[in-house]
Amino acid sequence: MTNDHDGVRGLLAAWAVGALPPGDARTVPPHLAGCESCATEAERLRDTVRLLDGGPSDGRPPTSALNGSGSADGALAMALRSRGPRTPGVAPHAAPYAAAVAGLQALVRELDGRWGTPVVHDWDAQATVAHLIAADEHLAVALGVAPRLPASHIPEGTPAGDAWDRRTADVIAHEHTRTPEETVATWAAQAAALLATPEAWDPEPAARAVTVMGLRLPVTDHFVIRAFEAWIHTDDIGRALGLPVPPPPDKHLDHLVRLAVRILGLALHDAPPVLFEVTGPTDTSWVLGSGDDPVTAELTLDAVDFCLLVGGRYAPAEVPRAETGDTGAVRNVLETAAALAWL
Amino acid sequence: MVVPVEPTLEQPSIDVELHRRLVYGDESALREAYATYGGLVRRVAVRVTQSTAAAEDVAQEVFAQLWSRPYGFDPRRGSLRTWLSMLAHRRAVDWVRSESRHRKDARADDSALAAIPDTGPGPDEAVVDRERSLLLHTALAELPRTQREVVHLAYFAGRTYRQAAVELGIPEGTAKTRLRSALRKLAESLADPPDPASVRGA
Repeated sequence: MTNDHDGVRGLLAAWAVGALPPGDARTVPPHLAGCESCATEAERLRDTVRLLDGGPSDGRPPTSALNGSGSADGALAMALRSRGPRTPGVAPHAAPYAAAVAGLQALVRELDGRWGTPVVHDWDAQATVAHLIAADEHLAVALGVAPRLPASHIPEGTPAGDAWDRRTADVIAHEHTRTPEETVATWAAQAAALLATPEAWDPEPAARAVTVMGLRLPVTDHFVIRAFEAWIHTDDIGRALGLPVPPPPDKHLDHLVRLAVRILGLALHDAPPVLFEVTGPTDTSWVLGSGDDPVTAELTLDAVDFCLLVGGRYAPAEVPRAETGDTGAVRNVLETAAALAWL
Repeated sequence: MVVPVEPTLEQPSIDVELHRRLVYGDESALREAYATYGGLVRRVAVRVTQSTAAAEDVAQEVFAQLWSRPYGFDPRRGSLRTWLSMLAHRRAVDWVRSESRHRKDARADDSALAAIPDTGPGPDEAVVDRERSLLLHTALAELPRTQREVVHLAYFAGRTYRQAAVELGIPEGTAKTRLRSALRKLAESLADPPDPASVRGA
């Protein structure tokens, strides 16, 4: 390609003003090194661009600036200050939650004047954030973070699911008396407090099991569930606004998938075994169901679709999938996944 | 079964991935965007403002906006390169406008006028700057419209020649040729500005 004299010749003007796409840009320097007539032409064109630039003739080709060799770099440092950093240094089990919190914070900036947009259930965007305050609060309380909102009167012995719903309803009612900015501030402050607990930084104290909303799991898993829920509701808000929310970073998505498969495996321990594959950042397979019987079916889901199914955002029959073998066994896996209802 | 990775267009998927990391607050994504496009953003800004200090401010604003409002960029609708250069262009034009407003205000006020040499560039420098930008303006105005359009997109607005061709609805080869003819013509008028006297004499 570097021998394509006419091709490179035709690119020189665009090259001189820095208007080459990256693929083309790579072909120019090698040719100039070996072709004197093109090198002369290139120099002449660059001189003209320097006249246009009005800058000193420092002989630097404009393309070098493309590599970011610009001045060292106050602009970047200042730009970075325009958004609080994602909590750096939290342990790997809390990193997905830290990222999900950053993701929702980025999205709420787009909500000015649109807080009343219906999102899911009968919630608007503000109620959805209020629900996250209530949902995160259960773990916050278990980790000794002081509650930020008035307590609900929920009688002892109320089933976990009902208590969860009532707390959400109370928090939404409370937040609707405040501005959306106040709701976001409360949610963000509680999230920051969760990420400041020793359990977010140190896997050792986070290894102990605590019961949150009827689920007894290590704190590490509860942090992953918080990430899962924050992302699912951010995605809800994004859909309502017409702003597609990207899936969590691959490493975090992998955390979510593995936890969901583990919990799904427990729920299916004596079901007919199905070879279950999740494709995406890492393709991984598991056998779900009784270990004593031969595999009756194979089911393959994309990682994001699987998470959306577990999060209740796909009906079991509608999730995109590949399957072979016993349809009843496959349906059982899909329905059990959709019914996990831990979000 | 081994499913081959689908050949996708390189740039969009890179932008999609970068956007995803920006959304989730990954600082290294902003560093990467800055390393790739910081030069382009400055170049677009300096061409419009004729001031490296202003270009520095513009670059800071542009990348601050990308970082604090990542949803302002939608990778489905265009490349990050285009989005950043358009934003840089807009911010630079804003700067020029507010600058010319300042100048008007200053002219209305004699005491402010007296203060200018202390803060701004020296009077000689200012004169040279003004003459230069007038010269550039004239040289550009003398280009045929078709050439001026390509120069505007590829030089001032930071587009690649391909993007410029698409926006103008012309073949890529035509965009390249027009750009080359335009540079030749600009070289003539900038290097050897027409002297009114000699024009009359000829």
